[in-house]
Amino acid sequence: MSEDWKSYEPLLIPDIPNLHKLDVYADNDGYKAFRSILDDQDKWSRKSVTEEVKAANIRGRGGAGFNCGLKWSFMPDPDDRPRYLACNGDESEPGTFKDRNIFEFNPHLFIEGALIAAYAMSIDTIYVYVRGEYIDWVNKFEDAVAEAYDNGFIGDNILDSGFSVDMEVTYGAGAYICGEETGMLESLEGKRGYPRVKPPFPAQKGLWGNPTTINNIETLANVPLVINNGSDWYQSFGAEGHNGPVLYGISGHVNKPGVYEYPAGMPVMTLINEVAGGMRGGKKLKALIPGGTSTPVLRADQLEGVCMDSNSLREAGSMMGTAGMVVMDEDTDMVDLLWRITHFFHHESCGQCTPCREGTGWLEKVMVKIKNGEGEIKDLDLLLDVTTQMEGRTICALADAAAWPVRHTITRFREEFEAKCKKSVHAVA
Amino acid sequence: MPEVYIDNKRYEFEGDHMALQFILDHGKEVPFFCYHPSMSIPANCRQCMVKAGQYIKDDETGEYELDEDGERKVRWFPKMQTSCALKLQDGMVIHTQETSEEAERAQKDTLEFILINHPLDCPICDQAGECPLQIQTYKYGPEGSRFEVKKVHKPKRVDLGPRVTLDAERCINCTRCVRFTEEISETNQLTIVSRGDKNYPMTAPNREFDDPYSMNTVDICPVGALTSTDFRFKARVWEMNQTPSIDITNGKGCNIDLWTRDNQVLRITPRHNKDVNDYWMPDEGRDAYHLFNENRASRPSIKLDGANQSNTSWNNAIETFAETIEAHSGDDILVIGSAHASVEENYAFNKFFNLLGAANARFTPHIIEGYGDDFLITDDQAPNTNGCRLLNLDETKEENLAQHISEAKVCIILNDDLIGREAVNPADFSGAYVISFATNMTETAQTSDLVIPITCVAEHAASYVNVDGRIQRSFPAKETKYTDRRLDLEMSEGRLDRYGTDFDNWVSEEHKVDCLPIWDFLNNLANRLGLDYHFEYSRNILSEISSAIPAFNDVSFEKMDEQQGIQLSSPNLEAKKA
Repeated sequence: MSEDWKSYEPLLIPDIPNLHKLDVYADNDGYKAFRSILDDQDKWSRKSVTEEVKAANIRGRGGAGFNCGLKWSFMPDPDDRPRYLACNGDESEPGTFKDRNIFEFNPHLFIEGALIAAYAMSIDTIYVYVRGEYIDWVNKFEDAVAEAYDNGFIGDNILDSGFSVDMEVTYGAGAYICGEETGMLESLEGKRGYPRVKPPFPAQKGLWGNPTTINNIETLANVPLVINNGSDWYQSFGAEGHNGPVLYGISGHVNKPGVYEYPAGMPVMTLINEVAGGMRGGKKLKALIPGGTSTPVLRADQLEGVCMDSNSLREAGSMMGTAGMVVMDEDTDMVDLLWRITHFFHHESCGQCTPCREGTGWLEKVMVKIKNGEGEIKDLDLLLDVTTQMEGRTICALADAAAWPVRHTITRFREEFEAKCKKSVHAVA
Repeated sequence: MPEVYIDNKRYEFEGDHMALQFILDHGKEVPFFCYHPSMSIPANCRQCMVKAGQYIKDDETGEYELDEDGERKVRWFPKMQTSCALKLQDGMVIHTQETSEEAERAQKDTLEFILINHPLDCPICDQAGECPLQIQTYKYGPEGSRFEVKKVHKPKRVDLGPRVTLDAERCINCTRCVRFTEEISETNQLTIVSRGDKNYPMTAPNREFDDPYSMNTVDICPVGALTSTDFRFKARVWEMNQTPSIDITNGKGCNIDLWTRDNQVLRITPRHNKDVNDYWMPDEGRDAYHLFNENRASRPSIKLDGANQSNTSWNNAIETFAETIEAHSGDDILVIGSAHASVEENYAFNKFFNLLGAANARFTPHIIEGYGDDFLITDDQAPNTNGCRLLNLDETKEENLAQHISEAKVCIILNDDLIGREAVNPADFSGAYVISFATNMTETAQTSDLVIPITCVAEHAASYVNVDGRIQRSFPAKETKYTDRRLDLEMSEGRLDRYGTDFDNWVSEEHKVDCLPIWDFLNNLANRLGLDYHFEYSRNILSEISSAIPAFNDVSFEKMDEQQGIQLSSPNLEAKKA
């Protein structure tokens, strides 16, 4: 990518004062996409909206990177059951804090995207699930929803189009697992956030057993852009196979941490050195977690030429995740880092499946041992064994998310871990 | 017909099947904890993992595609599958631990995880000996442990409710108990609290787990996390004998097992019968074991000169009984059968007094309107009301009973606490000589002039007809003074019977009740009176019933054993239902 990122104009969070207010949003072409659909429902049939979004290939921004329009097309044909859209704003993985900016600075863009999705899938009720710690943002967002209701964008017979949908804002009690899509559905139903066994998939049996689609907040915020400008336009920027704007949440040892919007596929080093103002205190880069703490850590030497898109990161040995980049400088203690990550997943495992419930705790306890200098070399191999026993053996991906950082941090920084371990107790002849 | 290949063997199937249940139904084994055939499938223990895939079929020909070696091509599922939640599809290939090292490995891994925070206190755990975790660890678990850090500590010895004690550290979070209260008893009294490796089942704050079916959670708990507060530390399972029987505390006739040691019933657990009680029984029925051990009528009792009762010899009891009968005509004798006694007892009893010229026995149903629920607790408090009806005893309302008693000079009652259940007042009996055949020293027995102790359901083989018209039977579980488990083929054989030596002091005389099956006593009485009356075993009584009464046509112990009871149909019962 050349230098043209510098001239990029943000689309998701443009720098317009008071954009969170509906009148300001409307003055800036807000609800244009939604209006154009409702005004010309012959052109924008439900199917054609889905097709357009599918053609744009908006990769799900919640971490899995699944084609949003394709997901919509899994919804069965309407029958007498209610249909739901559940919007996932429960971002709570360390390093991930992008949706917060949408709630704060451009909530109507997301609302518009959700309304378009609701139209395309004949949804009756949209639920927006926000993480509990974001209570200030819940309040802000509720104001935006109220404004949209007052102005007739949500509710019965929207803009006299005959289309009706309701939007309900709800928030969790601070459990990471409620961001797992079916854990979120359980939580929305008022139950413990235990992820569900799939199949059946939510499109068949979701909220209260009815057809449900789950989308990330940022993903839905991309939808109005696609409707306004077309899928070809959307495909015209970003990376091959991973297009459109991305909110990069950059944290860690950089001079200017924050959420930055640029096209997908930005070179990692550009993001660190130019966008985020370079390494704090002129220190050397040591490692990067590219997409939230569940994604495998990359050493500085693995980052050459790597771009923030799913293909490039997969080749480098990691994942795009939520583009929540955690930047670490040369002073970072990788053992400490890994202990902190294992602590997080131990704390957040819901405890439903055996390998995750027991494995996350085991990982943390062994990490504490190593951190305190009481570990042995064999403990490192034990940790790797435990990750193998956890991976792919549970209902949801939390076990994988807990196992990957351990596996990759140890293999990629093995010497550092070995240095912390006690010397072998076995006599060498 | 659709086919699946399990461990390289072909099976045909029809309809919807989950792999685990299908495998179990075909006599094979895959270890599991959270799965229960009568509840939803949470797939959370992750123990039943198998390697699975699908043979690839050519779309056009419908034939399986073959590779170069002529073997069928398989598309393996990317992950190990939990067989409990794996729906069988045509052409599916499944490898259990028997034929897949990966599956064996995965199962071993899961068991290692389950055990790391488990206290491994089997030597002091009540579940030991009947613990799925213990059994499956021996079969499929890893050797030793690699867990060298501290285990999680959780609450222990928590009284969840009046009957269930929780040891949260032993819990493996299978959620069977939670699902039981959600799906089966529908009280929703339990949930999992806390998160991750700190979670355990609990009630809502300040609430008790007093579900009338609460102890079923003890049965289905695959570890020793939920134990019976009453039974805790009383006996090890391998010291006990397990004998099939029928719950006699209400009209449902739940199928149960009696657990005995040294001729005491120590606990009662449900026995699976999909047509009656599935895997469940009410807590009340489990309390009934006290009836079999305590306050038993042992040795005949007699009231002399209207004073207090005192024990007497069998000979004296027979003599007194005979003299009483000889002193009266059949018309003076009121014979009261019992819905609390078995079909055989009622028949043998009624027949005997018919021979003496007494009128047909009466019986009074023991029903408390509104007591039951729509599950396993019934309004009917007796196990054999329909049995009495089918035997054509005279059904007599409670309010009319006193009148009949007042007209009689001798009143003979078959095991029914008419006073205790307030069907009659003690004063109603003042004009009659009362003889009770009793298992327990109930109020009625205590006011009787002569008490003949008889065997209870735990001591004889006998059948009962439940509220739905199903006849089911018991087996002798404990010895009386006059029986010997080594001579009685019907009695269950426990580990100690099989392996105990003469030097093992397993059995004492202490708990053997001095009582007789009613037919045995009546045989003796018939001898004394010179009646043509003899029944060797309850089996003989039933075969006489089955040829004499059409409703019991074709009923036998053998057939009941084969079919877990027999559904009877009779116009008599249909009329009652309507």
